Amino acid sequence: MSSSAVTGARALLSGNEAIARGAFEAGVRLAGAYPGTPATEILEALAQCPEVHAEWSPNEKVAFEVALGASLAGARAIASMKHVGLNVASDPLITASYVGVRGGLVVVSADDPGMFSSQNEQDNRHYARLAKVPMLEPSDSQEAKEFTIAAFELSERFDTPVLLRITTRIAHSKSVVALGERAEHEPTGFVREPAKTVMVPGNARGRHRLVEVRTVQLARWAETCDLNRVEMADHRIGVICSGVAYQYVKEARPRASVLKLGLTFPLPQGLIRDFAGRVERLYVVEELDPYLEEQIRALGIPLAHPPGAPRLGELSPPLVGRFLGGRKQAAPPPLPDLPPRPPVLCPGCGHRALLAVLKRLKVFVSGDIGCYTLGVQPPLETMDTCICMGASLSVAFGVEKATGRSDNMVAVIGDSTFIHSGIAPLIDIVYNRGATTVIILDNETVAMTGHQDHPGTGRTAGGEPTHRLSLEEIARAVGVRHVSVVDPYDTERTREVIRAALGREEPTVVIARRRCVLLDREARRPPRRIDVERCVGCGQCLTHGCPAISDRTPAGEKKKQVEIIAQLCAGCNLCGQLCPANAIAEEAAHG
Amino acid sequence: MGEVTSVAIAGVGGQGIILASDIIAQAALCAGHDVKKNEVHGMAQRGGAVISEIRFGRRVRSPLIPDGEVDLLLALELLEGLRHLHRVRPEGLVIADELRIRPAVRPPGAPPYPDDAEKRLRSTGRKVILLSASELARQAGNIRAANTVLIGALSRHLALPAEAWQASLHSCLRPSLVEVNLKAFELGRGTQDGV
Repeated sequence: MSSSAVTGARALLSGNEAIARGAFEAGVRLAGAYPGTPATEILEALAQCPEVHAEWSPNEKVAFEVALGASLAGARAIASMKHVGLNVASDPLITASYVGVRGGLVVVSADDPGMFSSQNEQDNRHYARLAKVPMLEPSDSQEAKEFTIAAFELSERFDTPVLLRITTRIAHSKSVVALGERAEHEPTGFVREPAKTVMVPGNARGRHRLVEVRTVQLARWAETCDLNRVEMADHRIGVICSGVAYQYVKEARPRASVLKLGLTFPLPQGLIRDFAGRVERLYVVEELDPYLEEQIRALGIPLAHPPGAPRLGELSPPLVGRFLGGRKQAAPPPLPDLPPRPPVLCPGCGHRALLAVLKRLKVFVSGDIGCYTLGVQPPLETMDTCICMGASLSVAFGVEKATGRSDNMVAVIGDSTFIHSGIAPLIDIVYNRGATTVIILDNETVAMTGHQDHPGTGRTAGGEPTHRLSLEEIARAVGVRHVSVVDPYDTERTREVIRAALGREEPTVVIARRRCVLLDREARRPPRRIDVERCVGCGQCLTHGCPAISDRTPAGEKKKQVEIIAQLCAGCNLCGQLCPANAIAEEAAHG
Repeated sequence: MGEVTSVAIAGVGGQGIILASDIIAQAALCAGHDVKKNEVHGMAQRGGAVISEIRFGRRVRSPLIPDGEVDLLLALELLEGLRHLHRVRPEGLVIADELRIRPAVRPPGAPPYPDDAEKRLRSTGRKVILLSASELARQAGNIRAANTVLIGALSRHLALPAEAWQASLHSCLRPSLVEVNLKAFELGRGTQDGV
């Protein structure tokens, strides 16, 4: 998105781009985020607007707090994150609900039903109830834009942060959006008002009372606000829904009457009762948890479907059609016997070389969130835990303390993930006299989400040069005495450094530094080739899952026949280092 | 085709699937349709299977195409075409590149790459057009424009005016890539059905 886009024009925007456009038109001054699928593109779009300070923060908590600060100075501000990011930012969110705002403050949670790129599929609608902040759920890109603007207005009108909750199918679906103009909102400046902004118990008690009053006022407003809409049609069937589920309902049962909720906290109880009274059979269609269903049943309103339906994965139009009692159409089955095609580490990826070394060392790997998590798949199978950002270090340390051994497990974490949540656990290891070996996979970018900058790249979200955080200095500063930097392509030295670290009674940080191959296509080396005369067919080169190495062995044949696909090969020579017959060389060497 | 036309594009991460779907969606928008498009990001450059879906018409509701309601399937790779074949209407059309890309890893117990992929693609009675899109792209001047060759072939079967395609290619591509892609599009548009 660029701020010069033609006003009045219609554009195809993703939900994320539309949220960014809405924030832009609402005069947002500050945007904070940490990259995370499916939310990343919101900040990427805002970083292109010179009117907005858009930053990649070290983590979501910081992003939210920076946005809160801007709001308290009277500027409109937005923080965007994936669902699990809101766990990290939940601490300030819940108290910010007491503090309220000066400039409008919007927090976007992009949930991932179906877990396309996440470690869980938590339903963040619960956060609205927990924090007692209003929640908006758009159902397409046009609404994503309109609801973002409405969220800023709502925030200022009711003195509260507003949660804008989307899901993957809203974030990453494109649909038509009418573009409008930016309306500037000048910051008023910070003013002293401790009863509002200093949450010591004495002040917080007063603010909590206001939060309860505010929720009652919001519930009253919800009854008539235009974010909620009744579409009466066939009175025999009524459906209450929100977000993308609304589109599936309209697709599957176009004649059904619908109460479409745009504001899903607090709920309009009167509107719901009235709608329920006008239809014969009432359904609630929602993805993941029975968030609406439980609150509606608690009103004593009977539903036409049994409670506690399985709540796994995402919805689809056919699923919704069946749920609403449509004819059971047999979905055509997929063709049998097709091999899967899972995502893999790229040819030439430094992570693969490092993981291949760990595989040979036969150690447990306490892993983290990033591309390297793909190492869990065969044939590498070198990932033994993956929980959340930063947990690799602390989990490895816990295993160490429980077993009294620090020589059979390493922690593996990416550069950006380390900055996000790895520093505090590293302090814990040093402070509590541990000997954990921590390997930072430094590819100098946030690769998995599409190559965003972070404090260690020396560049801001807007592309400006800035101080480059040194991972080595951080490690030394917290008290790690043994800090090594290795090139993972050099498997021999990498193995020696890690082996020495495992034998040491002190913590070690190994920084395996190799820029992401997708960022650095010029750094690719000439492709390798297999010398069939020398090849003994042992298959060692197939043990690390490189997409550039193709197994052409005919069925029943024991001796492996292998080919390197020159167009894919990045020339890292990991396979060459693994080959016991010295049968892999630079392509040019063979003429 | 009903009131809404549904196009699915399948291939391998890195083949330009998302760009291809952007071009088709933008062409439909230029022609005055309501449009929705969906895909999943994150894994697109990691060699995994990628699918993108475009729906256009007077009014589009769901961004997801219900199973069995794909009107046109564009397959940039044969195995990925087979993977989504069952989602195509019985009277629907499949346009596929003859390209084969073997999955990088074969998990234990997984079947091998189907050597009879073309035959299987034709085995369900749906209409199938096979192209050497990569070869035509090479003729156009850039092997990476295979996706645009396929869009050219697809354009013969979608009721969108030629100007909409031109406008879309100009708006979706970097200026330096427009010429080669216009050529690739025309080569694809010139192919005969049943080739």
